[in-house]
Amino acid sequence: MTDRVVISPTTRQEGHAELVMEVDDAGIVTKGMYFSITPVRGLEKMVLDKAPETAPVLCQRICGVCPIPHTLASAEAMDMALGIEIPKAGKLLRKATLAAHNINSAAIHHFLVATDFVPEDKFVTAVDSVSEIRKNVQYVVDMIAGEGIHPSDIRVGGMARNITPFTKDRLVERMTALRPKLEAHIELIKNCVAESAEKLGIPEDLGVVNQPLMAVDPLYGSNDFDMDKFSEVLPETWYDDPEIGKRGCSVIPLWEGQNVETGPRARMEKYQGFKGKGVIAQHVARADEMLKNYDACLEALDAIDPAASARADYDPRGTGELGFGIIEGPRGTNAHMAKVVDGKTAFYSAIVPTIRAYDPCLSCATHVMVVDDEDKSILKNEMVRI
Amino acid sequence: MPLGTYKEAVSARSTDSKILDVSQDGGIVSALLCYAIDEGIIEGAVVAGTPDDDWRPIPTVVTSSDEVIAAAGTKYSMSPTLSALKDAVRQNGLEKVGVVATPCQVQGLRKAKAYPFTRFVTEKVNLIIGIYCMENFPMASLDTFATSKLGFDSLTEASKMDIGKGKFWLTKDGEDKGLAIKETHGYEQAGCNVCQDYVAEWADVSTGSVGSPDGWSTVLVRTDDGESVFKAAVDAGLIETKPMDDVKPGLPLLEKLAKGKKDKNTAERERRAKMGVRIPTIY
Repeated sequence: MTDRVVISPTTRQEGHAELVMEVDDAGIVTKGMYFSITPVRGLEKMVLDKAPETAPVLCQRICGVCPIPHTLASAEAMDMALGIEIPKAGKLLRKATLAAHNINSAAIHHFLVATDFVPEDKFVTAVDSVSEIRKNVQYVVDMIAGEGIHPSDIRVGGMARNITPFTKDRLVERMTALRPKLEAHIELIKNCVAESAEKLGIPEDLGVVNQPLMAVDPLYGSNDFDMDKFSEVLPETWYDDPEIGKRGCSVIPLWEGQNVETGPRARMEKYQGFKGKGVIAQHVARADEMLKNYDACLEALDAIDPAASARADYDPRGTGELGFGIIEGPRGTNAHMAKVVDGKTAFYSAIVPTIRAYDPCLSCATHVMVVDDEDKSILKNEMVRI
Repeated sequence: MPLGTYKEAVSARSTDSKILDVSQDGGIVSALLCYAIDEGIIEGAVVAGTPDDDWRPIPTVVTSSDEVIAAAGTKYSMSPTLSALKDAVRQNGLEKVGVVATPCQVQGLRKAKAYPFTRFVTEKVNLIIGIYCMENFPMASLDTFATSKLGFDSLTEASKMDIGKGKFWLTKDGEDKGLAIKETHGYEQAGCNVCQDYVAEWADVSTGSVGSPDGWSTVLVRTDDGESVFKAAVDAGLIETKPMDDVKPGLPLLEKLAKGKKDKNTAERERRAKMGVRIPTIY
C-alpha cells in the first residue's frame, strides 16, 4: 500500500509550491511531485497593446528576487523586436549591472541556506560577509541602473544615462576593495557546505540528474534562440496524476523535447569546465560563480567610456518580427520574447528559468490558468486558495 | 512669524568678483555652493541650470565651482530641480548633495527626507539653500508676455530678462521693454496663489535680494547645518556681512512681503475651500 504525504505550501522558496510524495510500506519515497501553486498574475497579457517601453517596467515586477534579469530580458527582447542596436556603453552598463546583481543574488542564497550548512561559531562571520558583499554590489546596481530592486534606468535602447567618470572611479574603487572579502566568503561557504555534507551524511548522488544543460552564455546572455527546439507542455500532460496536473500553475518548457538543467552549475559545467553534479555541487558552483561575475563586473566597469552615449535613438513602431532577450540570471536562463506591430506590443512571452532549476522561485514560473471559452469563468480558481 | 525659524539674519555678499559679475544680487547661493564643494562639505549640487535661448531652465547637476558659476542667476520659469536629484545620487555618484530650491521645492524635499518614500536619495542631501519666491511663471506665460504683451515675435529674441521697479523686463537689441507687474497677474502658476511660504522656511539657509541694498542679499541662517557652512564661508573671507539693522530697507520689508503673501494667499485658500476645491496642507 502506498501512502501519500503532502506538504503545502512549501516554504523554502520564493512563491508557493506543493510537494506531494508517495511513500511505500517501508517508508521509502517512491515518487515526488513538486509543483507551483502560485496564483497567476498575467503580466505577459498586461503588456499587450501597450507601448514597447511598458514591458520592461511591468515585467520586472514578475519577481523581486530577479528583477534585474527580468528587466534586462524584457529590454533586450524589445531592442530586438524594434531592430535596435544598443550603443557599446549601454551594453557594458547592462553587463556590469547583471554581474553585480548575480553576486547579490548568490549572497542572498547563501544567507537562506546558512542555517542548513553554516555551523553556529561561523554564523556571524557568514552573515557579516553576506551583508558586506550585498551592500557593495547593490551599490553598483543602484548607481548604474537607478535602483537595486526594480531598476528604473534599464531602458529600451540602452540605459537612461551613462555614469560620470567620478562614479566610474568610485565603483571600480569599491569593487576592488571588496575582493578579499568576497574570496574569503566563497571559501567559507564552500568549506561549510563540504563539512556539513559529510557530517549530515548527504548522499553523493542526491539531486544528480543527467538532463541536457541549458545555458546560452557564460555570464550575460544573447539574442540567439532557436524556437524550433523549444516546446511547452501543460501540467496536465506532464504529471501522470490528473489531480496534480489540474493544480499545477506552471507550464513545462522543453528543449528538443526534454526537460533541461539550468542555473549556476549548468553554466559552470558548460563554459568553465566545472565538474560535479547534484545538490552539493550546485552550492559549490554558485559560490565559485560569484568570482566569475566579480571579474566580469570589474571588466565591464573598466571598459565603460563615460563620455559615450548609453542609449540609442529608435523607431518605436516595431519590425513585426519576434525579438528575443535571453539573460543568464542567478537561477538560470531567462528568456523573454516580444513582437511589436504599429508601436504596440502584439505578443509577449516569458520562459523563466526557475521551472528548470534546483532552486525554484515560483512567482515567475506561474503561467497557467484555465478559463472556460464559453462563459469566461475561471476553472482553476482553487489554486489561489493556499 | 512671517520669516519662519531662523538663528540669524544678515545682509551679505560674495567677495569673489567672478561670482558678483554673474550673480543676481549678492551671489550668496553661488558663494556657499562653491565653498561647500571646494571644502568637500558637498560633492556637488542640484541647481536650476542656465537656460538656452528659449529661456527654459534645465535642472543641472554641478560638481565644481566653475559649473556653479556657469549656472548662476535667477530663472524666471519653474525649474523642476528635484527631478535631477536622482541623477545626482545615482549616475553622478554623489554621496553629499546640495540643493538650491524654491520654497515649494524645499517643502517637498523636507517631506521626502522625513518619510521613507525614497531609498538612498534624499538622505544624501545635506545642504538645502532656499531662495525667496513670491510666484513663478510657466513657460507659456513667459511666451505670452513676450509675444502678446511686448510685441516680440518670439521669446527667443530676448537677450535679457529681469524683474524690478514694478515691471517685468525683456531686452531686445539693447532696448529694454517693460510690462507692469500687475499685467502679469493671473499668469503665475495656480499653486503660487495658495502658497504660504515666501522665504523658504524649511531650508538650511534662505536668501534673496529683498531687505538689502542693491548688490547685496538678505540671508536667513536657519539650521545648525546651514549655520556651520555659512559661518565657515564668512570666516574664510568668501562672504562679507553687515548687520540687518545697518542696512535699508532692512528686515521690516522682508517681513512685510512674507506676511503679505501669507495674508493674500490665505484669503485665496479660503475662497477656493468655499468652492470645494482641495487645497494643499500648510506646514
